[in-house]
Amino acid sequence: MQVLELSSLIVKVAFRNLWLYRLKTVVIASLLGFGSFLSIVGLTLLRDVEATMQESIIGSVAGHLQMYSKKAKDDLAIFGSTFMGRQDIGVLEDISTYRDALLRHPEVQAVIPMGIDMGMLGRGNEMDESLDVLRAALKGGDPVIINERVEQLGFQIEQLGRELAERKKVTQDQVEVVKEEADLAKVKEAAFTESVARGDESALQYLETRIAPLSGEKLPIYLMYLGTDIDLYRQNFPKFRVVAGEVLPPGQRGIMLSNKVREDQLKNTAARLFDKLNKRVVKLKIPIKGDAENLRLVQDLPRQYNQIMAYLDRAEAVELHESLKQLGIPATEGTLIAQLVQQVKDFLKVDDQNFEARYRWFYEQIAPKIKLYEISPGETILLRSYTKSGYIKSLPLKVYGVYSFQGLEDSDIAGVMNIIDLVSLRELYGQMTESSLKELQEMRSQVGIKEIAAENAEDALFGDGAAATVESRVEAPTPAPQATIQVKPVIPDMFDVTEVGKGLALNAAIKLKDDVKLQDLKESLEKDLKSQGLDVKIVDWQQASGFVGQFVVIVRLVLIFALGVIFVVALVIINNSIIVGTLNRIREIGTMRAIGAQKSFVVEMFLAETAITGLIGSCVGTFIALGLLIWLGDYGIPSSHDVVTFLFSGPRLYPKLHPGIILLSPLFVTGVATLASVYAARHAAHVTPAEAMQEKE
Amino acid sequence: MSLAVRIENVSKVYPLGKTSVQALKNIELAIQEGEFTTIAGPSGCGKSTLLNLIGCMDTPTTGEVYVEGQPISQLKDKELTRLRLEKLGFIFQSFNLIPVLTVYQNIEFPLLIHGGFTKKERAARIDALMEEVGLQPQAQQKSNELSGGQRQRVAIARALVTQPRIVLADEPTANLDSATGERIIDLMKTINRTHKTTFIFSTHDPQVMKQASRVVRLKDGAVLEA
Ligand SMILES: Nc1ncnc2c1ncn2[C@@H]1O[C@H](COP(=O)(O)OP(=O)(O)OP(=O)(O)O)[C@@H](O)[C@H]1O
Ligand SMILES: [Mg+2]
Repeated sequence: MQVLELSSLIVKVAFRNLWLYRLKTVVIASLLGFGSFLSIVGLTLLRDVEATMQESIIGSVAGHLQMYSKKAKDDLAIFGSTFMGRQDIGVLEDISTYRDALLRHPEVQAVIPMGIDMGMLGRGNEMDESLDVLRAALKGGDPVIINERVEQLGFQIEQLGRELAERKKVTQDQVEVVKEEADLAKVKEAAFTESVARGDESALQYLETRIAPLSGEKLPIYLMYLGTDIDLYRQNFPKFRVVAGEVLPPGQRGIMLSNKVREDQLKNTAARLFDKLNKRVVKLKIPIKGDAENLRLVQDLPRQYNQIMAYLDRAEAVELHESLKQLGIPATEGTLIAQLVQQVKDFLKVDDQNFEARYRWFYEQIAPKIKLYEISPGETILLRSYTKSGYIKSLPLKVYGVYSFQGLEDSDIAGVMNIIDLVSLRELYGQMTESSLKELQEMRSQVGIKEIAAENAEDALFGDGAAATVESRVEAPTPAPQATIQVKPVIPDMFDVTEVGKGLALNAAIKLKDDVKLQDLKESLEKDLKSQGLDVKIVDWQQASGFVGQFVVIVRLVLIFALGVIFVVALVIINNSIIVGTLNRIREIGTMRAIGAQKSFVVEMFLAETAITGLIGSCVGTFIALGLLIWLGDYGIPSSHDVVTFLFSGPRLYPKLHPGIILLSPLFVTGVATLASVYAARHAAHVTPAEAMQEKE
Repeated sequence: MSLAVRIENVSKVYPLGKTSVQALKNIELAIQEGEFTTIAGPSGCGKSTLLNLIGCMDTPTTGEVYVEGQPISQLKDKELTRLRLEKLGFIFQSFNLIPVLTVYQNIEFPLLIHGGFTKKERAARIDALMEEVGLQPQAQQKSNELSGGQRQRVAIARALVTQPRIVLADEPTANLDSATGERIIDLMKTINRTHKTTFIFSTHDPQVMKQASRVVRLKDGAVLEA
């Protein structure tokens, strides 16, 4: 009771003084309020980001823990390290040993073997594609289809002629152009067209080796791929979603393309520019006029007319020519191609007024006529990679489908990875798998056959199936003797499902039954494996994810630093104000001391003042923070950047209220401020009672 | 009768820059319990210094001060504070009330610091004292709403509430007009008589000196007449 009454007295006196020096009180309260506000908002967002990031990382690729060889030269960085390139994280010789050892622990739910590597995607241009289609048609033997394809080819050759004529006007190398013109003139002859329609091999090869390169080679694309046990992977990574096509079936060689990679790198350039502009102009509402980035995209768009022209056949060209006229884009004069080129260029000139309409028109009228994506499910790509020993290994992989991670559709970081089967990964990595050994044997026997039948090499090369020749061309444009080695005599595109579970992996994700005690478990698992002679590093998802995982650590440091600065400023001001305030209050302090108040009483009085100021300030700060968080909880914080999207595990972060943070932050701020004013309060308590006597009113 | 205060050969030297000021020189003084003593003398003669020593707010440079038989020169701040709280009451020239508190709360303040009194006990003491000093109607008023005379009455009540043996007052009437000052001295004298409380106060005012039962005259830090 007594203590309470004394305290209420102290509080009363404290309040009086706070009111008396209210400007100072307001300054300190605001500072401490801001500190509480920052602490609540910062810690809440940090915790939410950590949770969403954890969800992103654990649910997409990393799992709870990642295991890789102790002999690794680099740290595992699933989402890339600060410097790009291939990492050397060693190998896990036989994943089954590790898996069996790990699965003995009741906490471990699954061990998913993985390997992340990078390869090059071999690409042809539009002419190459047309020729591929033609070869397929020739193989099919339907004269109507063959005719259509030949017609399409003729149309492309016509366009090529126009491009060449334009190039002739600007290029220095006239000799080269004249040579190319001669080549082109040859294939325009009716006799040549006829032999193409008959499927004459030398004519086709002439087109492939001399004419196709004229329309320009595309730069190779680097693809990151994750080789894994697709079944296990799907069971354990809930963020995986198929966007197009189907899931890579277990026991099949193949690739699932990342939707983001496909959109960003394999989509028709004109369509891609339209998409980018649509995102900026329509979704983000940034007008074209006055925005440098938009203007750059707008300028770039008409230059992509060939991205549309190249895919059209004559019928489609005529149709487009007419519908563009109806749209109000008139043709000038000249050939159909010349007219259409002008119309398409005009169509691609967009501005703030016509953009939305043009965008819609593009997808309604033009997109169905062109090849929107370079690669689509059902097609086969050729993936090339440097094996560990430095050879180039190439592998045809069927594209089964396109996938993305739920909530991370827009994220470059999450979207960089394509998924392939583990057996193919091993081969690209340079491991001899059962199927590659078989393949090697077959290859040897084939080469043997070819050596015997050397006098009829052309038949041996091209007689037994178009598929082989297609590959040989992509692999080596000029048929050189060693190219025969790389001619794949039909690699079996299936493998024994159990093969996946046995051999090499580069790393493995460990999925736990629940994610508590991650750190303890990490160490005990590592120790346990070591006792069985398996020397591995086990890292948590945050470490395994590379620089993204470190991001939160950095944000936390920045936040702590900011809070620290605010605290220091607040504490300096508090201390200063108490010391200065003491001068004004010598008489009061002295009187209290004279009539029997101990020094401790004076100290308590000053601490009470800081505590009350802190409590008031931080309560206000807390309410503001609470309001902001509730508001943000409804509206969400939009992600401004790809890294942020990844951290948010989606385009927006909806903060949650954490009672612990909300209650403890103001108390902590008040507590620290109060403790920090002890020094100044003691200083105040040094006022002697005699000083009260001398002070005149 | 026992001694309320005994001062034995006390000197007080204040350091003042590189030199020093001798405020008191070899003071010998004894004050009986129940005395109504005034300390008089010209400005700077050492009146306040002497009262501070008796009031346990300072310790002598040499010599010894006994308060209620207790030597104080070796006491620590905490013990001196306790002594002030329990044995002494103070009345100041500028009243020194705590402005935010009511009359009642100002008087209650020492009891709360002291501790150990129930609310009832406190109320009984405070009510009685307020009646004695004639402030009952102002009990719930803020002290800064009162006149100088009223404030000094509150101060007297506050000084008495712990029932100290000795009340010290350094020029209690200096900030009051002479009529009010006289009434304050009268009040002190009444209390001195009824409660047998020892009063020691300083003054310049010859009118006030006349009221005292004993006058101790100081000059240049020495006792001229006791
Ligand atoms: N804290 C101190 N430090 C230094 N010198 C002091 C201090 N207190 C008092 N003195 C000096 O000691 C001497 C006695 O001072 P004291 O205040 O006791 O005189 P006083 O009789 O109360 O005077 P007044 O009538 O003006 O109040 C004076 O010369 C004064 O300047
Ligand atoms: Mg004086």
